[in-house]
Parts: sequence; C-alpha cells; structure tokens
Amino acid sequence: MQPTDSKNPGPLGTPPDSGDMVTTTAEGAKGSISLDALMAGDEKAFEQLVVQESPRLFRVIVRIVGDDDEAASILQETFLQAYQRINTFRRESKLTTWLYAIGINLARASLRKSRRLSSLEDQEVERMQPDFNRGMFVETPAVWDPSRVTELSDRRQLVRRGIEQLPEDYRTVVVLRDIEEYSTDEVAKMLGISSGAVRVRLHRARGALRKLLDPHMRRMPKA
Amino acid sequence: MKFITALKTALGVAPGCEKVNEFLAEFVEGALDEKMHAQFEEHMNMCKCCDHYLDQYRQTIDMTKEVDEVAIPTELAEHTLAFLRKSNAFSQDQGSATS
Ligand SMILES: [Zn+2]
Repeated sequence: MQPTDSKNPGPLGTPPDSGDMVTTTAEGAKGSISLDALMAGDEKAFEQLVVQESPRLFRVIVRIVGDDDEAASILQETFLQAYQRINTFRRESKLTTWLYAIGINLARASLRKSRRLSSLEDQEVERMQPDFNRGMFVETPAVWDPSRVTELSDRRQLVRRGIEQLPEDYRTVVVLRDIEEYSTDEVAKMLGISSGAVRVRLHRARGALRKLLDPHMRRMPKA
Repeated sequence: MKFITALKTALGVAPGCEKVNEFLAEFVEGALDEKMHAQFEEHMNMCKCCDHYLDQYRQTIDMTKEVDEVAIPTELAEHTLAFLRKSNAFSQDQGSATS
C-alpha cells in the first residue's frame, strides 16, 4: 500500500487508499474510526464518533460553562458543525483536537452571551501571584499540611469553588491540562495558541488556585 | 540560601526565585533543558521559599486532579444523534447511513 500524503487526502467521496484511523479517547469505548469514511460524510462513522467522544467532550464543556443543559446543547451544536464542516479538517492535527476546538469555541461564545461572570478578574489573578523583590520571594510561602483537609469531599469542594472562580480562559487550561490531562501541545492546538502561552496561562491559573487554597492548607501553629 | 548559590544568583549566573517561579510549569512538566533543570533543582535545594512554593504548587495540581467527576446525562449521545437527524444533517430514517 502506498503511503498517503496526509496533507492531500484526495477529493471528498473518493477516499485515498489509506487506512487513516481516528483513535478516539473515550474510556470504555476505545476504538478506531476510519478517517476517510468520516471525511466522505459516512453517517455510520460519524455516529460512532458521537458515541465515543460525547462523554469526554461533555465533561470539558460543562466544566467551562457550568450548566448541564447548556453543555448538552453546546455538545449537539458542536457535532452538527463538525459534521457540516468535516471537509475543512486538515489532517495536521488529530480529528478529536479539531472537534474539541469547535466545542470549546462554542462554550466560550455561550459564556460571553450569558454574561455569567466568574468572580475573579484577570487583574486579580495577576495580584494572586507571589511577590518578588530583586528576584527573590518577599515572603516565605507557608508549609502546607495535607492533613488539615482530610475528607476528600471537602478537598473537592475547595478545588471546585476555586476553579469556578477563575476567569474562563484560565479555567479552560486547568480543565484541559490538569483535569483531562491533555498534553500541552494538544491544548495549544485546541485553543489556537502557542504551547508557551498555554504554560503561562496554566501557571497563573495554578498560582491563583494555590492562593485560594492557602488559608485552608497552611500548617496550624502549635497551640 | 547557601552563600555560593546566593552569590551566583546575585551575579546573574544562576536563576533567582522569580525566574524559577516563572518557569515552574515547564519545570514540573520536565520541559526544561537539562542544564536549566539542574540549575532549578540546585536552587530549590538551597531556597526554602521556592521549595515550599513548589510543594504548594504540586499539591494544588494534585488536588485539582481529584476534583469531582462530572455526571454524564443518560442517553447523551442518543440525544445528539436525534438532534443531528432533526436538523437534516443526517438522513431521517432511524438508524444509520444508507449507502
Ligand atoms: Zn528561591
């Protein structure tokens, strides 16, 4: 079999003689869908994509918009746009990366429209980063004592509230990188920014979360 | 901080706290080149501030990872497929492609 030039997949409907597969990420339903079938508009293949990617993509969207019904409706719109625009997919990234980029954009647009504001502003995120004087820490960061919050449910609640307070673009990188554990490069492609920009944003988001957790996690002075 | 490290930092030949902090995401991801990674480690070993901060930073990431699961609505994919059929993206007949 000839190796296929991935940048020239051939006209739609006449898939090249290749075995390009979309390895989907859904847990429990890991499988491969023929990329050529998808790009040829094969409904059966697209159905498979919907079934396999819906749970994870829903998780990402709901964590960005914070509302189940809205997330389900964004998910539907994402797949509709993906189906209609499948011929614009250039095989330079994974199909799932391209799909998630559509979903994330729709989620952001929905947040802007609803004007649901996160409680922190960008400038506050900046102020929550540590202070330095002549390149050195101004204050010694406290020692954290994990045994202060022993209940998993309490820790989860602290983190959830923290994440909800982050401005959307900070929240999104935390969701994609730290919760869903996509690689920095994949996150960069999903968001259409550089890997460096992902790390900068992620670092500030973690710094802000750290600040929010700090009062709950500091080791108590001995009485 | 040990005198030699402090001196190197002051002379600008070793990274200070601010520089170390700026590249902490790269550091924990293992994305720094070997030389820089070693310099950062040397700094962490000598600097209580950066050592404590790194520990907080790692605990923050770990706590983020254990955030609650999202409950997936029942028939999520089925509803999406029904939506695609309704919006005439898919053929109307129940089920799958007819080719
Ligand atoms: Zn330091």
